[in-house]
Amino acid sequence: MNATLYKREMKSSWKLLVIFAAILALYVVMIIVMYSPEMLTMFRQFNETMPQMMAAFSMDFTEESLTLLGYMVSGLYGYILLLFPMIFAIIRGNGLVARYVDRGSMASLLAAPVKRRTVAITQMMVLITGIVALVVFTTALEIVTIAAYAPKQAETGRLLLVNLGLLGLQLFIGGVCFLSSCVFNESRTSLAFGAGIPGVMFVLQLLAQAGDKTESLKYATFFTLFRPEAIAAGTSGAMGGVMVLFIGAALLYAGAVVAFSRRDLAV
Amino acid sequence: MSVVSIQNLTRDYGGHRGVFDVSFAVDEGEAFGFLGPNGAGKTTTIRHLMGFLKPRAGVCQIGGMDCWAQRAQIQRTLGYVPGEIAFFDDMTGTEYLRFIARYRGMQGTGRQRELLERFDLNPAGRIKKMSKGMKQKLGIVAALMHDPSILILDEPTSGLDPLMQSRFIELVMHEKERGKTILMSSHMFEEVERTCHRVGIIRQGKLVAVDSVDALKAKQQKKYIITFENSKAAEAFCKEDLHTEMLTHHRVAVTVGDTIRDLIAALNRYPVQNLTAPNQSLEEIFLQYYGGEAE
Repeated sequence: MNATLYKREMKSSWKLLVIFAAILALYVVMIIVMYSPEMLTMFRQFNETMPQMMAAFSMDFTEESLTLLGYMVSGLYGYILLLFPMIFAIIRGNGLVARYVDRGSMASLLAAPVKRRTVAITQMMVLITGIVALVVFTTALEIVTIAAYAPKQAETGRLLLVNLGLLGLQLFIGGVCFLSSCVFNESRTSLAFGAGIPGVMFVLQLLAQAGDKTESLKYATFFTLFRPEAIAAGTSGAMGGVMVLFIGAALLYAGAVVAFSRRDLAV
Repeated sequence: MSVVSIQNLTRDYGGHRGVFDVSFAVDEGEAFGFLGPNGAGKTTTIRHLMGFLKPRAGVCQIGGMDCWAQRAQIQRTLGYVPGEIAFFDDMTGTEYLRFIARYRGMQGTGRQRELLERFDLNPAGRIKKMSKGMKQKLGIVAALMHDPSILILDEPTSGLDPLMQSRFIELVMHEKERGKTILMSSHMFEEVERTCHRVGIIRQGKLVAVDSVDALKAKQQKKYIITFENSKAAEAFCKEDLHTEMLTHHRVAVTVGDTIRDLIAALNRYPVQNLTAPNQSLEEIFLQYYGGEAE
C-alpha cells in the first residue's frame, strides 16, 4: 500500500462519508427512539383484529419480530442500510480507478516507481475503509442509542452478528463495483456495471420480498445471502450466507487487483 | 550501450493503426528524436516503453529491464512528460507537486524549485483553472524534479508558447549535456533538430528511417518564398538556373538543396522586397528524403 495515495483518497472519501453517516444516523436514531411498549401493544392489537390487512402491508409481526432487534431489522436492514452504503460503494468504486483511467490521470500514478498492484491494493483499501467505517459507525450508534433509550431490550451479541452480515453484503457489493472499475477503460462502462449489477439485484430483492408470486426471485439475487431477520432470531445456519458473501468479496477484490495489474492501459 | 531498446514491437489496432515491427535503440547519453505525423504510432510506442501496454509481439527494454515486467523498477530513474497531461483537478499545483514527490518516495523536493524558476511557474492555483501551457509546465516540473537519468518526452512542447518552447529546448540540451538519455517525440522536424543527434521517422505505424540529424539536413531541401517589387523581376528571376515556381505575379517559391550560395548571388541582382522561409511539414521532409517515392 502507498500511504501518500491512501491519504489523498481518504481525503476525497471524507466528505461523502460524513454525508452518508449523517443520513444513516438520522434513520437509526429515529427507528430506535420510535420503539416503545405502546407501539408494541398497538401492533399486537392490529395483528389480532385485522391479520389479513397487516399481512397485506407485510407488517404481520410475529412475537419474535416484535423485539427491538426484530423491529430494527424490518425498519433498517431491509432498505436503508442496504441502499446507502451501496451508493457510497458505487460512487467511490468507480472514482478510485476507472475515472482516473478514463481521464488519463492514472498515467501520473503509473509513471512512478509504484507497482500497479500497489496502486490497486491502495485504492481497494480506501474503498474497504469507507465501507467498514459506515458499518462500524452504524453499529456503534445503534449500541449507544439502545443503551440510552431501551437498555433492557439490548441484544448486543445478535446485533453485532446482524451488522457483521451487513458488512459482508456491503463488502461484496463494493467488490462488484471495484472489479468493474478495474476492468473497464471508460468510466461510463464501469459505472454501468458497478451500479447496474448491485442495483438490479437490489430491485429483485425488493420484488422478492413484496409477495408470494415474486418470492422465487430471491434465488436470483445475492442480497438473499444476507438474512438479517434469521440472524436476529438466532436461526441456526443464518450466518452461512454471510460467509459466502465474505469469501465472494475476497475473490472479487483479488480478481480486481490481478486484472488491473495485467491489463493494457491506454493512458 | 543502448539504454532504451525496442525490438520488433508490434501492436495491431486494425485498419492500419498501431505499430508494426518497430525496432530502434537509444544509447546512453544520446538524445533521440522520434518523428512522425499525428496518429503515426508515436504515443503507442511510448506507452509500451512506459509499461502501460503489453507488447503483442517484440520486446521493449530500458536499462536492460523489460518494460512490462519490471515497469515499476524502471520508473525510478525515468521521467515522463506526456503530450496531454491529466492531473487530479481538485488539487492545486503545489499540492500536486508535493503529492507526486511523496508518492514517488522522494526525500525532499529535489529540483522542484529550480524547475519552477526556469519555467516561471507559480503552482499555487487550482489545476482546474490553469491554462494548457501552465498545466504542461506543471507536468514537466513533476516529471523532472526527481532528476531522472532517462527522459521520455511525448510531444512535450505542445501547449507551450514559443518562448517557453525554446526554454524547454534549452532544458533538454542542458540535460543532454549532463549525460541524460533522452527520447523525444514530435511531429515537427525543427523541434528535434536542435536537440537530437539522431532521429527515427515513423509513418503509419512503421519505422521508415533512422538517421542522424545531419544526414537528414543534408538531404533536406529548403523552400524560400521571395517577393519582388514587380512582376517583371519575378518573371526574369524564374529564368535563372534555379528550381523555381511562380506563385503570384510578384511571389516566387524557390527550392534549394546545397545551392544556397547561388540563390544569394542571384537575389543580389533583383529588386527583392521580402524573403520568407516557411516551416516545412514533416510530410514534405519525408517526401524529400524519399525522393517522392512515398505514397
